[in-house]
Amino acid sequence: MIGFIGLSHLGLNYSLATAARGFDVLAYDADPALTARCSAGEFPIEEPGFAELFAQHRGRIRYSSAAAELSACDLVFYSLDVRTNERNESDLGPLSALVDATAPHLAGGSVAVVLSQVAPGYMRNLCRRLRSRSAAAFYYQVETLIFGRAVERAMEPERFIVGAADPAVALPPQLNRWHEAFGCPVLVMRFESAELAKIAINCFLVSSVATTNTLAELCERIGADWEEIAPALRLDKRIGPHAYLGPGLGIAGGNLERDLVTVQALAAQHGTDAAVVAAWQSNSRYRRDWALRQVHAHVLSQNPKPRLAFWGLAYKQDTHSVKNSPAVALAESLGAFEKIAYDPQVKSLSRCVPNLSIAASALDACTNADALIIMTPWREFRGVDPAILRRALRGDVIIDPFRLLDRTACVASGFAPHQLGC
Amino acid sequence: MVQRLQTIAAPPARVVLFGSSGFIASALARALAREKIEHRAISSREIDLLRPASVKQIQAELRPDDALVVTSALTPDKGRDVSTLMKNLQMAQHLAEALQGSACAHLIYISSDAVYGSRETLIRESSALEPRDLYGLMHVAREQIIAATAERTSIPVCIVRPCAIYGAGDTHNSYGPNRFLRAAMRERKITLFGAGDETRDHVYIEDVAHLLILCLKHRCAGTINAASGAAVPFRAVASIITDLVGDDVEVEHVPASGAVTHRHFDVTERIRVFPDFTPTPLAEGIAESLRRLTEPQRD
Repeated sequence: MIGFIGLSHLGLNYSLATAARGFDVLAYDADPALTARCSAGEFPIEEPGFAELFAQHRGRIRYSSAAAELSACDLVFYSLDVRTNERNESDLGPLSALVDATAPHLAGGSVAVVLSQVAPGYMRNLCRRLRSRSAAAFYYQVETLIFGRAVERAMEPERFIVGAADPAVALPPQLNRWHEAFGCPVLVMRFESAELAKIAINCFLVSSVATTNTLAELCERIGADWEEIAPALRLDKRIGPHAYLGPGLGIAGGNLERDLVTVQALAAQHGTDAAVVAAWQSNSRYRRDWALRQVHAHVLSQNPKPRLAFWGLAYKQDTHSVKNSPAVALAESLGAFEKIAYDPQVKSLSRCVPNLSIAASALDACTNADALIIMTPWREFRGVDPAILRRALRGDVIIDPFRLLDRTACVASGFAPHQLGC
Repeated sequence: MVQRLQTIAAPPARVVLFGSSGFIASALARALAREKIEHRAISSREIDLLRPASVKQIQAELRPDDALVVTSALTPDKGRDVSTLMKNLQMAQHLAEALQGSACAHLIYISSDAVYGSRETLIRESSALEPRDLYGLMHVAREQIIAATAERTSIPVCIVRPCAIYGAGDTHNSYGPNRFLRAAMRERKITLFGAGDETRDHVYIEDVAHLLILCLKHRCAGTINAASGAAVPFRAVASIITDLVGDDVEVEHVPASGAVTHRHFDVTERIRVFPDFTPTPLAEGIAESLRRLTEPQRD
């Protein structure tokens, strides 16, 4: 039996993927209301393929809030997502409390793997702290789930990065069996390296995002087109076909931002140069406001009381998360103006955005609007016929950072599209 | 970086304006009069911030519900030396001392883009403060003095950093629209360094005044740049002026002494705080300046 402790986004996806790989799974959370909902097939997350996978493998997964049941597991994963505050700093308190509460229930000879997003140093300290209180051997494993692609990433990982107190010691057999079920390379390293490896991955992603956005903006000014340049970069072996080369509105979602803040804290503590991180953050903030500058230049400077249609509120497609969402930031900056938003998954916002109403459909949001602003690249927005929009929109401005609409068709329908990278 | 403490615009009870004979203060006084906002413009002849006696004079003048706008400074044309720096700091010292014993509701300090260095390609409010001369250093120091005083006295402070300002009534003759306009009108000649490729952001004086009015009405706190957001080459400025003044104006090119530099401003912060504020396009602002400059001659 394999246990998962903590059923936030990370735990729900990994526990289901483990069941789908043929293991019997005990999915534990201290919240009985949550485990009852999960048992009934009602989950607090939206991920493509999740519901289907659950329907196929629900016989192998059991949701429980009884910590004592964890003693039946020879392998458990701590899978609670670590939340961040408004400064993107991790709050490791809930994870530590969860470990403290459940570690005494783990059986002798069992293995505990922390999947949660921890900072370098956390695991070594944890092991020191638990030495006399838990019979389990602790490991760390880097998680690289992506909101909106979590099921795919959990089922088909590129590799496992495992942190161990002593990487020279062979991994325990129950952990090896779990790894083998996924058939991907396993890299074992000391705790500190694994903890920093996760941050390193995210730093490289951010550097790609920042570089892409910096050069895409230049394209906008000098008449180049980033879409023509990106394929050349993808064919370069040093950059690669899967590099983050799509211009966007900066980094969002919280995870990447968290790791940048962690690097800055470590650099400050140890006296290393992390000025580039501040530059990435600055670039991200600047890029996030691209749409605001476009709205000001093309709408507000000509129309003092515009009605603005928003497509998308989530920070990216295939998620309901609005953490650090550029769409929400834009809506807040445009507080005084009338805004009608449509998002396939976000139907309300936890904090009040003045003069924002939610439309029932994408087209409803456009009715009599002076401009359409497409802030999340949902699939259903891609390729919408501008001729249909022409009948709904009052104005002719379309702000389409992700180039979801065909530029030529937009122009043919009398729109002035404003897109990133060209 | 800057926030509205007053979400809905409301004029302050009274605006006290220091440095009233200067370019910015004069424009602001006109704008306040247009807006029918009570104001009291005080020049250095009335209260000389260089004198210790100014402390008591300011205290006697200020009311608790006043908004104070400080534009007073000895500008680089009055001196770029240490003595001028120290005089400017002395003015800030007296102001700070006065504020310790006399509250006001809001303080706006007019600083300068001279506080920024020349390394960044796009200057924003969060850009590093790297003054290249004593004038820039003076504003950095005065910003700090005023911010520290405001913190002790709980007065909300807004620091406004204008870039190169142009418009009728400018008392300086810096390289740019004002000098070009005067030279075109008087000498029928504009002199450019090199090809005039260097780009700068020129903000219209009336836009600065408008921005200050918005900061006053919303009781803004924080730091905001007063820039147009559209940097243009000096040759483009010259071209606008020759179009306006006449084809007979010669554009002369003289060798440039240093490397070509550029100075752009990211105005996102201003857009976020005042989304309904749109700066005057350069050509329009220069045409308006020309009209104002020539009007008295017609009279």
